[in-house]
Amino acid sequence: MTAVLEGRSVSKWYGQVIAVNNVTFTLEQGVVGLLGPNGAGKSTLMKLITGQLQPSQGEVTMFGERIWNNYELFHRIGFCPEQDSFYERMTGAEFLAVMLQMHGYDDAEVARRTDEALETVKLTEARDKKIAAYSKGMRQRIKMAQAIAHDPEVLILDEPLAGMDPVGRHEVIQMVRQWGRDRKCVIVSSHILHEIEAMTSTILLMHNGQVLAEGDVHQIRDLIDKHPHNISIRCSVPRRLAEAIVGFPDVESVKFHPEGDGLTVESRKPDDFYGRLPGLMLDKEIELEEITSPDDNLQAVFHYLVK
Amino acid sequence: MAQSFSLKKGWRDVKTIAFLTLDTLFWSKKTLFVCLLSLIVLGLAVVGRVVLSLNLVPTALPSSQVFGTLMATSVIRFLVIFVTLFYGTALISEEVEGKTLTYLFMRPIAKPTIMLGKYLALTWIGAIMVLPTVFMSYMILYLRADMRPFFEDLGVLGRDIPIVLLALLAYGSFFALLGAWLKHSILIGLIYAFGWEGFVAVLPGFTRKLTITHYIQSIFPHGDTLSALSMLVGQRTETIESIVTLVLLTAFFILTASLVLREKEYVLEQ
Repeated sequence: MTAVLEGRSVSKWYGQVIAVNNVTFTLEQGVVGLLGPNGAGKSTLMKLITGQLQPSQGEVTMFGERIWNNYELFHRIGFCPEQDSFYERMTGAEFLAVMLQMHGYDDAEVARRTDEALETVKLTEARDKKIAAYSKGMRQRIKMAQAIAHDPEVLILDEPLAGMDPVGRHEVIQMVRQWGRDRKCVIVSSHILHEIEAMTSTILLMHNGQVLAEGDVHQIRDLIDKHPHNISIRCSVPRRLAEAIVGFPDVESVKFHPEGDGLTVESRKPDDFYGRLPGLMLDKEIELEEITSPDDNLQAVFHYLVK
Repeated sequence: MAQSFSLKKGWRDVKTIAFLTLDTLFWSKKTLFVCLLSLIVLGLAVVGRVVLSLNLVPTALPSSQVFGTLMATSVIRFLVIFVTLFYGTALISEEVEGKTLTYLFMRPIAKPTIMLGKYLALTWIGAIMVLPTVFMSYMILYLRADMRPFFEDLGVLGRDIPIVLLALLAYGSFFALLGAWLKHSILIGLIYAFGWEGFVAVLPGFTRKLTITHYIQSIFPHGDTLSALSMLVGQRTETIESIVTLVLLTAFFILTASLVLREKEYVLEQ
């Protein structure tokens, strides 16, 4: 049986800089998490997998075919890029319709798939709003919608949870898990371990352009639990939030941002903390603007691994 | 059957890309700048009209001569170049800078088809931005109580318009190639249009044939205009040869731009 995706001794370099170094992998149906700190080579590997770049050395194949300039394969691939870039003047529905037209569907099919994709990412009500007026979370969702609208067999999602609110994160995580159950091949990248862990237990761990480890996430989890995890929260009333969380047993410390727009929490059990946060925000009537997790701790784990 | 389906799909893809690009180009800041340039050309037409009406020059100038001069200097050597330079170099580079190229490249569309669609959009927007200026300049210079010259010289206008379109096609394809290929394409384009073409135009011999402007000037019908001055040091190329050369150059530039787009890796900065 042919693997969905295969990379054989793949390297990619830009001048003197090696972005991906001699990577070999075989991926089948299901969800695979591509985990690594910023600059590990995840995005470059995703661009190689999606045929946006061609390997300097080695070969990447999908369903046994080379990807670079193999246009027909793009019926079978959906890609959600990391960058927050759009044709800003378009509405969400127009954007999806144009993307679907490029797949050769007739007008009725374009309309049907547009509606379906908007429904899936819960943007039906905002369909006629210009993308320029979308919030960060909505922009992330419409980016996902263009990746899934043509029902591809392979989905490649580059940092899909970046900038999403907790509810949005939960929904995307559920979607990714469902696609995995639907026997699609889903590759999802992140530099945050617990995000990946929520979607899959199969990971490809990257560092400095190389695949350090492949397989089960739990071993990594054991390592990371020994180290505090930083969670940065921007919200309407940071002081009220700090009062509410400072007594939690898993919270090591709380630091206010110098700009006064939020705080950074240090936690040894980030999953527990994330689970508790939405309810807390509702109880205390605090509006969440952004939640991010700097990769310092993951970086520490990588240092362990490469030693 | 399969081939006709593929052609139909190809044409549909070209149109989709063209409409998408047209919308992006039209609503960019470049359009404001191009409108300003058009106003300059129209301002010059008004000045020409005032000169004609008030007999400010000792020898009587026919409207056709003023119109021809305006076409040669302000429309083709100024407006057409700037319109194609700004929009043509932006066709790919704007998608790279805006990081939207990924959305196009992740579709089952051949990259040469993307280039063709974008080039079609460039031709449309070029015509939309330049032709009204040509018509309005003609009207400014010819509208008066005696409408006979207006109707008599309509043929001149009819000959000028295809030449303007040919200039849009040729310069557009060249600047589209620069945009797909080079990082600082607008600067290179300016150097080509106003440095190389300006310099070579006054050189005798074969080198002038290495410019687009030479072939356009060769088919330009206004023999008594300023464009003819630059021909003093060299001969015109035959009309048919000029037209064929311009068409071949256009095809060559677009084909090369398509190949560049097909083979080049565009790295979108994170």
